[in-house]
Amino acid sequence: MSAVDLIDIRKSYANGSPVLHGLSMQIQAGEFIVIVGPSGCGKSTLLRLIAGLERADSGEIRIGEQRANDLPPQHRDIAMIFQNYALYPHMSVRENIAFGLELRGMAKAERNARADSVAHTLQLTPYLDRKPAALSGGQRQRVAMGRAMARETSIFLMDEPLSNLDNALRIAMRTEIKELHRQLGATMVYVTHDQTEALSLADRIAVMKDGHLLQFDTPEAIYDRPAHRFVAGFLGAPPMNFLPSERVPGALGGKEITIGLRPEHLKVRTGEPQGKGLPVRILLSEMTGATVILHCESDAGRLTLNCARSEVPPPSAALWVEYDLSKALYFDAAGRLVNLS
Amino acid sequence: MKLKDKGLSALAIAAGIVFLSPVLYSIWMSFQTAQSYYTGGFEPTLGNYATAIGQYNFARYLFNSLLVSGLVTIAGLAVATTAAFAFARFDFKGRDLLFGLVVATLMIPSHITLIPNYLTLARAGLLDTYAGLVLPAISNGFAAFFLRQYIRGIPKALDEAAYMDGATPLQVLWRVIVPISRPAIFSMGLYIFLGEWNNYIWPLVAVGKQDLYTLQLGLARLYSINPGEGLIDWPLVMAASTITILPVLFGFFLVERHLVRGITMGAVK
Ligand SMILES: Nc1ncnc2c1ncn2[C@@H]1O[C@H](COP(=O)(O)OP(=O)(O)OP(=O)(O)O)[C@@H](O)[C@H]1O
Ligand SMILES: [Mg+2]
Repeated sequence: MSAVDLIDIRKSYANGSPVLHGLSMQIQAGEFIVIVGPSGCGKSTLLRLIAGLERADSGEIRIGEQRANDLPPQHRDIAMIFQNYALYPHMSVRENIAFGLELRGMAKAERNARADSVAHTLQLTPYLDRKPAALSGGQRQRVAMGRAMARETSIFLMDEPLSNLDNALRIAMRTEIKELHRQLGATMVYVTHDQTEALSLADRIAVMKDGHLLQFDTPEAIYDRPAHRFVAGFLGAPPMNFLPSERVPGALGGKEITIGLRPEHLKVRTGEPQGKGLPVRILLSEMTGATVILHCESDAGRLTLNCARSEVPPPSAALWVEYDLSKALYFDAAGRLVNLS
Repeated sequence: MKLKDKGLSALAIAAGIVFLSPVLYSIWMSFQTAQSYYTGGFEPTLGNYATAIGQYNFARYLFNSLLVSGLVTIAGLAVATTAAFAFARFDFKGRDLLFGLVVATLMIPSHITLIPNYLTLARAGLLDTYAGLVLPAISNGFAAFFLRQYIRGIPKALDEAAYMDGATPLQVLWRVIVPISRPAIFSMGLYIFLGEWNNYIWPLVAVGKQDLYTLQLGLARLYSINPGEGLIDWPLVMAASTITILPVLFGFFLVERHLVRGITMGAVK
């Protein structure tokens, strides 16, 4: 059963140019969907449409198989975490978390108990009686999350819920969200700029650009078979290398075809090229922990690749890069993936 | 305390005394007899208060004023706040035109509406009733305008969060907008209350029965009570004035701490 069905949704704001251009998306019940895309591509707008906070200009929104275009947000029973938190400034943390439960008529003792337990999960217990003004950014963000978590509902919309947390807390909260998803079996639509979050949380990832849905598929498919050059470059760190195909020895395709090579499919070698390879020069090396990212220059263009720390070549050596053409992807001039093999 | 602060405090106190002195003087005057006032001595007495309340029915006027001003304030705030919420948050046909009309009412001098209001109430049979005193004062364009501006300053994301939490529009108003707007609402409440408390013309026109007199009407009537030829009983008038002022002062101190201070801090990024 599909939990949320978007059919050819168009949306423009009163004064501006169109934001969503006929977007369609079918979200199954219980799925964890992650939406990624550059800033301003319409991610928040999409969430607000599902929430009922904006109206679509055309197209249909179906929630639980029912047409929902005209259903006001308070009747959709959807929990949402806002990008800017939107905490009630006159209420304590506890009241903020319990407000939705109160509106649904839950008794005070019960809803406070629930708020306290949610706060415990989010490590907010010491702040339960504080007002939002007396909290740090990360604490506020967790209250916003708690407000949604306290609601036992079937659809959760989260707009960058972890963006303001430190690394340790973010990893802990990521686990909590995954756990919440497992426990409630709820449908989640989650917006993030963080690739690790996207790849690790999602059942399916939706990649958006300029109000279009470029690809909507499993993390593996998005990573291994990106439908578009933009998708290929957007996910993966360091990003995929793009070179003109004709300048890469052994590559397929001709003019106007771009070859995409992931950094992990490249190896840097010393000495003379044996077989297929590109001579390179190291411009910069970036230490990231176990591995080092090498930024190199070749005749075909710039290349980024990963290299184990023990295998970093000496600076003076003559270097070349070996690549695995069976893993290479090819894109046409419009950026679409083409199948040449 | 720094020297500069001390200087500022002294200045503030001096200004306070300048503003307060007529009030203090009239309160002091209300505690002497008319006799001593006109002959130049000082003879302390509570007699003026006893006369104002016993003989001239000021307890009743005080009750009437409190009742009328209280009802006007509560009803006026309810109307102004809901109107402000609608104007600030909802898109409906003719909204801007309607709001323009509300603002336009601010430019009409109240005396122009006096006679039409009188005729309307006369036809409705509401002259000489509390309803006749209260109803025409309920709509308050300035309060609606002021509160709309204030509500527009509250992030709309808070309304949206409440809707997502399951609130109806009225619950959003009552549970989110009103508590956050409390300083503005109290300010407007004080403004409406004082305006009605000091209202003289409308009660004069709308009410003939002495039982419905407000303090202002009662006060005006006192001027015609003479202790001697061509004289006004000033100490009695001042006692009645004090009865008129003190509840307002007291009320102000009650709401003062709610007046200023914004509390939206910490709501959104
Ligand atoms: N209320 C509004 N009125 C007019 N234009 C708006 C409004 N809200 C958003 N937009 C525009 O719509 C586009 C999409 O905005 P949206 O907030 O959905 O982007 P986003 O993908 O969430 O970006 P970010 O990652 O920065 O949060 C932007 O160009 C933005 O300027
Ligand atoms: Mg956004």
